Amino acid sequence: MKHFLSNTARILALLLVLSTTSLIAAQDVELTLWVYDDGRLEILTELGAEFEAEFGVPVLVEVVDLTEIRNAMTLGAASGEGPDMIIIPHDNLGPIVENGVAAPIDLGDNAENFLPNALDGFTYNGQLYGVPLAVENIGFFRNADLVPEAPATWDEVAEVGLELLDNGDIDSVIGLPDLTYNSYPIFTAYGGYIFGRDDEGNFTIEDFGLNNEGMAAGLEWVVNLVDEGAVSENIDWEAAHVQFETGRSAFILTGPWAINRFDTAGVPYAISAFPAADADAEPGYPFLGVQGLVVNANSEDAILAQVFAVEFLASEENFQRIFDAEPRPSAWASIFTAASDPNTAGFNEAGVNAVPMPSIPAMGFVWDAWVNAGALAVQGELTPQEALDGAVTQVLAQVEG
Amino acid sequence: MNRISTFIPRTPYYFQLALLALFLFGALSVIGAMLSDGLYPLASALSAITVFLTLIFIRRRFTPLRWLSIGIALALLFTLYPLLYTVYLSVTNMGSGHLMTKQQSISRLEAQTYLAEGGQSYQWAAFRSNEGASYALWLTPTEGDSFLALPGQSAESVSVEIGELDEGGIPVSIAGYERMPMNQVVPLITQLSALDFGEPPNTVRIRSLREAAALQPKYQYDADLDAIIDQETGEVYRPVEGTFTSEEGVGLPIGFIEYVGLRQFEGFLGNAGFRDPLASMLIWNINFALASVFFSFVVGLIVTLLFENLPGKNIIRALLIIPWPIPVLISILIWRSMLNPDLGFVAPVLESIFGSSPAWFQDPFWTRFAVIMVNVWLSYPYFYVISAGAIRSIPSEIYDAAIVDGASGWSKLYHITLPLLLRILMPLLIASFTFNFNNFNVIYLFNFGNPPMANTIVPMGHTDILISFVYRLAFITSNVTNYGLAAAITVMLFLLVSAMVILQMRFTKIFKEVE
Repeated sequence: MKHFLSNTARILALLLVLSTTSLIAAQDVELTLWVYDDGRLEILTELGAEFEAEFGVPVLVEVVDLTEIRNAMTLGAASGEGPDMIIIPHDNLGPIVENGVAAPIDLGDNAENFLPNALDGFTYNGQLYGVPLAVENIGFFRNADLVPEAPATWDEVAEVGLELLDNGDIDSVIGLPDLTYNSYPIFTAYGGYIFGRDDEGNFTIEDFGLNNEGMAAGLEWVVNLVDEGAVSENIDWEAAHVQFETGRSAFILTGPWAINRFDTAGVPYAISAFPAADADAEPGYPFLGVQGLVVNANSEDAILAQVFAVEFLASEENFQRIFDAEPRPSAWASIFTAASDPNTAGFNEAGVNAVPMPSIPAMGFVWDAWVNAGALAVQGELTPQEALDGAVTQVLAQVEG
Repeated sequence: MNRISTFIPRTPYYFQLALLALFLFGALSVIGAMLSDGLYPLASALSAITVFLTLIFIRRRFTPLRWLSIGIALALLFTLYPLLYTVYLSVTNMGSGHLMTKQQSISRLEAQTYLAEGGQSYQWAAFRSNEGASYALWLTPTEGDSFLALPGQSAESVSVEIGELDEGGIPVSIAGYERMPMNQVVPLITQLSALDFGEPPNTVRIRSLREAAALQPKYQYDADLDAIIDQETGEVYRPVEGTFTSEEGVGLPIGFIEYVGLRQFEGFLGNAGFRDPLASMLIWNINFALASVFFSFVVGLIVTLLFENLPGKNIIRALLIIPWPIPVLISILIWRSMLNPDLGFVAPVLESIFGSSPAWFQDPFWTRFAVIMVNVWLSYPYFYVISAGAIRSIPSEIYDAAIVDGASGWSKLYHITLPLLLRILMPLLIASFTFNFNNFNVIYLFNFGNPPMANTIVPMGHTDILISFVYRLAFITSNVTNYGLAAAITVMLFLLVSAMVILQMRFTKIFKEVE
C-alpha cells in the first residue's frame, strides 16, 4: 500500500505542475465583441478582419443572447468574465455602469457627427459610455385604405376609429401591443413622462412622472375605448399585430420590426407622426432606443478595445457600410438624415422628439409595475389614477429597498 | 461473492493507475480552470468530490462504496452544493451593485485614476529600444516643449541623443531607439498603458491612442481605518452594508458582497405589503397543487375505467396519451392561443352557445380555472398510464369473491379498486403534489402569474405561486437583480415544502418498512 500511495503522490504532483503551467501559458492578443442580434454579424466580422489586417489584432464577433450579455457584464464581472466589447440597447447600460463594467468613451471632435439624442442615450451621470451605432423608435401606423389622412389628435383617432367600427369595417380601433413602451406616445401627448431630469440633464427619480395627470389622461383615453368595446380588454402583442395586418384594426403603435410582417400580409399601411392631445398641443413622442458599442472596463485589453471602437469603427465610411448591411436608422447624423425611403422617413418623423429610454436602475422597477397598472385600469378594477398611484408606490418601495 | 468477482475481469494494476491518473488530470484541469475564473465555492466542492472518489479508489476498505460513488458524487454536486450556496446567498446582500468580494471591489476602485488639477496631458509617440526590451514615449504637451520620457527616470535625467524633429514635431531618430509604427503600437497598447513613464510620483501614463496624462490613483484603501480615501477630495468612504459610503451618505458605485445576517428574511417577512398578499398566494398555491393532482388523478382514473374493456382500446390509448409527449412549453402556448379572446376559437364558440365568454387572462377566478384546466390536460395521461398498470395488479379473485357476495359495480369500485389503487399510487400522488407546488412552467408560461393584484407593495399576480413570485421578484420586476432576497425566499420555500412532505410521509406512512 505504501508503494501505491507514493506512486499516486508522484502522479498527483506531476499533474499539478502540468495543469498549472498550461494555465499560465501566454495568449495572443485578441478582441471579442458580442452582439445581441445577428443582423450586423457579417458586416462587423468584415470590419474586424480589416482591423486585423491593419493592426494585427483579430476581432472575434459572436452573437450572444442579450440576457447572457447582461449576466456576463454584471454577475460575471467579478471574475473578469465577459467579452472585451458588447453591442447593447442603451437601456441596459445603467446596471452595467453601476457595477463598474463600462469603460468611458471619449469620441473627441468626432462626437459632433453623431445624433445628439443618440449620444444622450449612452450618457450616464454626465459621462459617455458607448459609441452609438443605430437608433430606433416606434411609429404611428394607420391602414391607408381605411384612413387616408393621418389624424392630428388622439380624439380624432377615436372618432375616426369608432365610425369605422360602427360600420363594421374593423373589430378594433387601434392595436396596442402593450400599455407601456408601445403606448408611450399616447401618454406623452397628454404630458406624461416617466423620469424628469436633474440640473445636469440626468434622469432622476426625484421627478417621477409615472402617476402625473398626463399619464392618467393617456390611460383614460385607452380605458374609454376599452369600455366602448373598441379595443380588446386583453392587451396582447400578437393580437394587436394580427388584427392590423388582417385589416381588422385601423391603427397600430409599433416599431420597424413589424414592417416585414405587414409587407408579407399586404396590408396598405402608412407611418406618420404621432397625434397630439389637441390641435394646439405638441404631438406625442416615443421612447428612443439606441444601440451602441460598450467597452468592458474589466477587460485586460480595454484600451485596445477603445482604439477599435473610437479610432477605427467610428467613421462615416464604416457607419455607411453598417447601414447598408442592415438599414436601421444610423446614429451618424448625416446618414440618418440622408435616409429617404417612406418607412424610414415615417419613423424619423414620428421620432423627431424621441427621448432615450431612461437607463437608470430605477427604470428596471418601473416596467412590471407599469404593466400591472395598465392591466388593472383596463379591467376596471382601479381608475387610471389609482392604478398609476399604486405603481408609483410599488416602484418607490423597491427603490428604497 | 467469489462467484461474482470471477465474472469481473481484474484489470492490471498499472492500467487502473493510469485510469486514475487520467481522471485526476481531467478533474484537476477543470478545477484549475474554475479557480482561474474565480468560481471558488464550486471549485472547492469539486475538489472535495475528487478527493472522495480518489480515496474510495485507492483504499481497499472503501471498495463497497465504489458502487455508490458516482451517485453520491452527483448528489453532492447537484443537490447539496446548490442548497448550501442558496443558504449562503440568503444571508448576503448579493445583487446588482454588490457582485464582487470586498477585495475585488477595492482593487477596482484603486484602479481608477484622475487627472489632478494642473496635471498635464500629452500627445504621445512610442519608441522601442533596439534590443526591444524597453520603451520610451515622446510627449507633446498642449503648451510647452516636447520631451522624451523613460520608465522610472525623470525627464531631466534622460541623456539620450535626440535627432531632428519631423513636421509632426516627433524626432526622426533617437539613439538606441526606433519609432514604433501604428500597427506595432496597437497590439502592444495594453502593455504600454501599464507602464509609468517618468520618475514617481510625477509619472505619465497612456490612456488612449491619442492621449497620455499625468494620472493619479483616485482612491486608496486604508487598512487601519478600513476605509477608501478619495485622493482628489480627501473624502473618507467607510463600508456600510457593502458600499463604501461617505459621511454625507454618498456611496461609491462598485459595492461588494457583504454578510447581512437575516436582513433579507426580515425585509421580506417584516413588510406588511409582502406578507398580506403572501397569505392569499400561499392558499392559492396549495389549492393549485391539490386541485391539479386531484383532478388529474380523477380524470386519469375515469379514463382507465372507461376504456379498460373496449374494442380498439390500443388506438384510444395512444390518442389519450398524446398530451404527454408534446413538450409542455408548446402545449401551454397552444392553450394560450386557443383561449385568446381575440384570436382563439374558444371565445367565439362559447359566445355562440352561452352568449359570453369568460376573460381567461384577466379575471382572477377564470384565469385560475384555466391554469388548473391546462395543468390537468398536461398531467392526466400520467395518472392514466400508472393507474391502468396498477389496476392490473389487483388480483381478480377479489372481484370474483365480491361478485359471489353480490357486490354492485359501484361498491366494487369503492371497496376494492380505490383502496387498493390508492395504496399503490399514494407515493406518486404525493410526489405529484410536491412537483405541482413548484410548477413554475404552467403558471409562468400560461399567464406570467397575472392578472395583477391591486394595491400590493410589489407587483404580484392572482395566479402567482411562490416560485413564480420569486422569479418575478428576482428577475422580472427589475433588471436590478436581487439574488440575496430571491435566495432568502427560496430558503423559506424549501423549508415549507420539506415540512409538507415530511407531514405527508408521517400521515401516509408510505416509506414505513413492511413488517
